[in-house]
Amino acid sequence: MIPFQFRLERRLDRKWWHSVLTPLLSVLAALAAGAVFLAIEGLNPIRVYLDLFEVSFTDKFGITDSLTVAVPLILTGLAAAVAFRMNLFNIGAEGQLYLGAIFGSWAGLQFADGLPTIVGVGLVLLAGAVGGAFWALPAAFFKAYFGTSEIITTLMLTFIGLFFMRYLIFGSKSFWRDPDSANFPQGKKVPESARFELWGNTRLHWGLIFALAVVVAVWVLIRYTSIGFDMNVVGSSHASAQYAGIPVRRTVMFALLMSGALGGLAGATEVAGRAYALDPNGLQLGLGFTGIVVASLARYNPFAIVLVAVFLGGLRNAGIALQGLPGERVPVEVSLMLQGAILLFAIGGEIFSHNRLSLVRTTKAVAT
Amino acid sequence: MTASPAGPGSDHPGRPAAIAAVQVTKRFPGVLANDKVDFHVDVGEVHTILGENGAGKSTLAAMLCGLYQPDEGQIFLSGAPVRLRSPREGLAKGIGMVHQHFRLVERFTVAENVVLGDPQQARFIKATEVEARVGEIGERFGLPINPRARIADLTVGQRQRVEIVKMLYRGADVLLLDEPTAVLTPNEVDALFQTVEAMTAEGKAIVFISHKLGEVMAVSDRVTVMRAGAVTGEVATADTSQRHLAELMVGRPVEVETRRGQSPSDVALSVQGLDVVEDGQKVVDGLDLEVRRGEIVGIAGVAGNGQRPLARAIAGMIKPSAGSVSICGKDVTAKGTKAARKAGLAFVPEDRLGTGLVPGLSLTDNMLLTRKRGFFVNRSEARAEVETAIVDYEIKTPSTEAQARLLSGGNSQKVLLARELANLGTPDGPQVVVVSSPTRGLDIGAAEFVRGLLHEARERGAAVLIISEDLEEVRSLSDRMAVLYRGRVAVEGPTDQLSIEQIGLAMAGVAEEGAA
Ligand SMILES: Nc1ncnc2c1ncn2[C@@H]1O[C@H](COP(=O)(O)OP(=O)(O)O)[C@@H](O)[C@H]1O
Ligand SMILES: [Mg+2]
Repeated sequence: MIPFQFRLERRLDRKWWHSVLTPLLSVLAALAAGAVFLAIEGLNPIRVYLDLFEVSFTDKFGITDSLTVAVPLILTGLAAAVAFRMNLFNIGAEGQLYLGAIFGSWAGLQFADGLPTIVGVGLVLLAGAVGGAFWALPAAFFKAYFGTSEIITTLMLTFIGLFFMRYLIFGSKSFWRDPDSANFPQGKKVPESARFELWGNTRLHWGLIFALAVVVAVWVLIRYTSIGFDMNVVGSSHASAQYAGIPVRRTVMFALLMSGALGGLAGATEVAGRAYALDPNGLQLGLGFTGIVVASLARYNPFAIVLVAVFLGGLRNAGIALQGLPGERVPVEVSLMLQGAILLFAIGGEIFSHNRLSLVRTTKAVAT
Repeated sequence: MTASPAGPGSDHPGRPAAIAAVQVTKRFPGVLANDKVDFHVDVGEVHTILGENGAGKSTLAAMLCGLYQPDEGQIFLSGAPVRLRSPREGLAKGIGMVHQHFRLVERFTVAENVVLGDPQQARFIKATEVEARVGEIGERFGLPINPRARIADLTVGQRQRVEIVKMLYRGADVLLLDEPTAVLTPNEVDALFQTVEAMTAEGKAIVFISHKLGEVMAVSDRVTVMRAGAVTGEVATADTSQRHLAELMVGRPVEVETRRGQSPSDVALSVQGLDVVEDGQKVVDGLDLEVRRGEIVGIAGVAGNGQRPLARAIAGMIKPSAGSVSICGKDVTAKGTKAARKAGLAFVPEDRLGTGLVPGLSLTDNMLLTRKRGFFVNRSEARAEVETAIVDYEIKTPSTEAQARLLSGGNSQKVLLARELANLGTPDGPQVVVVSSPTRGLDIGAAEFVRGLLHEARERGAAVLIISEDLEEVRSLSDRMAVLYRGRVAVEGPTDQLSIEQIGLAMAGVAEEGAA
């Protein structure tokens, strides 16, 4: 018999800095793991990481591009966090984002012409939120009233949403499709009044401020309102909620619809801030799925979500930019691989920050 | 160390203890469950391990039977050091344990369960032989049991007998009984004690585990008292008293409580013809109950006879299928927990953490759980309330913002009571107080405190209903009591006029309708 064995023991002395250190260390570990693969590719990992940082976080256009990608990630991160913290695993922010884009672009095309920008954009956002919530509704209803796994339903709805969006542009002469794009189908452009204003000559738009406002609103709602309180109770114990007379089903529905609405808002900000049309190829970027990574790394904290979204936004942005850089030819997959590695290490880090690994002796001399 | 060739710690020089633990230590993450514990039981004796919940009794027993291995220290069997790698190995060496939770296969018969998993059993088993031996063992040790009965049809007390028979059948000479009386009616307890006597008469060594002082005095020859993982004393029963044992258990002198007389006034809680159906079964069956202001009424009964659904129906957590509940004259039947609360109810449910308290929320938020909240949550008042409660109730917590899950059982019960009994005696405060198992799992100090609170509630004119499976708890607290059996009141009356025999028979379902 082996005289030693490893054992995980629950840490009882978790300090506050564990929750900061863990994500940081996970990121470092992921970079280290990524370095191995880069080296295999024949690239110099340090060089690539420095380029990565330089491209995304040093000059004005790099930073603003990273922030532009961060906008939808903040919203999909919130979408995941709002649900996940209640153990409701809405993994369908991706599909809710598509529906948000469909509803949002419809509102922009239909109503925005001639309206003041603030109203036009407002309508796009409102419609986007409704679209996202609408796409979460079946999952929310079946979860609340029949206990159907929301993981399955939200994922399936994501694919339906994806194909529906693609059909609207590539498969039919729908309201959304630009009639002048017969050979190369495209979405109809929304009017100026349905677009976020850009910041100077950058691609960054006012959607960032909007997303930050949503962060604060979500934080206030969860922390300071009664419905947020109810969500916290239901998230921790259904029996307690029932005991306190808090309607469990209604609260579950509300949380999932809110999560869906946030995913929908991400789609609407993409329409109003970047794509300006229902653009299936330009929207199908996995922003919704990345939101899950954002929320997990941020431990569902709304403010941490902003930081993580900016970081992952930069990583994505650099992935694309590096590919075009002369010389090294870093594959775009590098940034996606790193993103995945970060999530894996974050989950692993979580286990070690909650538990202590110890080596224990299993055999012992008979003491007489 | 203390080991001599004759074996450690025997009380009879020259004769080794049947089983002994010398300086055993067992650690669990963050807990020192057993700290250098010495324990032994001699042939033909009953040695009790006494201690409060969490003292480490079950852990010690688990090491004696091979379920756990000690981190340090040594187990001796008849004077020789042994290493027991599993309960099976323990049993092969003659050590049998009856756990707090039984390990029987419900669909099998008694005889089948007895031979199930027995390594010494021949491959082909003659049923009649097994049945005959089971019958014979039953007779010898006062464990009447039908070998052909299915476990599913047996009462809890009968199942326990099967477990004991199973151990005896496999030749156990040392029997470890982990809190065997917790699930028994008083009459079944008496029968168990006779079995214990029969076993010791045949030279078995019995390790009896309990936290009930009365039983311990009645059944054991010696007592080892544990507190927080360590042995605080070992005494012969003949040389000690309940008070002394209690002091060893708690670590300080214990008050003896007094019951004060009170004249109850008008009916504040009235339950009439209540039926509750769960999974197609009538778990509460035409139950009538009245509790007046200024009295404590206790509901006793073996677990699973309708206590839980009764409490939950009164609190509005479940809908009864018939009958009515009214609180301070208001009909609150099936109107939900908020309506019941508004009418004047305070309810302390049986599961404190997870129902009464939200594990993942702070104490402040838990204080708000049953309070009226506006659109925005105002925490400052609740926080002040928690701060006051921490001082008044001596709650041990890192802060008002600590999660409820971090509190021990006693402390979470105190938080719950502080919330539910707030404003007691004022028109805004609770008029009817329903508490399930008020002192279960509490150490003696905290239990005393909780009893004091319930008495105070009565003094201040509240109608108090206590629902508990612990008969002693009900008897010591209540002015009137009722025994539930299969969802009905089997016997009812002033507590001091019901004899323990009457209560025991009612709990076992023998007596029909008492003086209801
Ligand atoms: N398997 C286990 N893992 C972790 N902690 C345990 C385990 N078993 C018991 N403990 C802890 O050890 C202590 C003693 O428990 P136990 O022996 O069950 O006490 P008792 O039987 O006297 O109530 C308690 O604090 C309990 O929480
Ligand atoms: Mg125990």
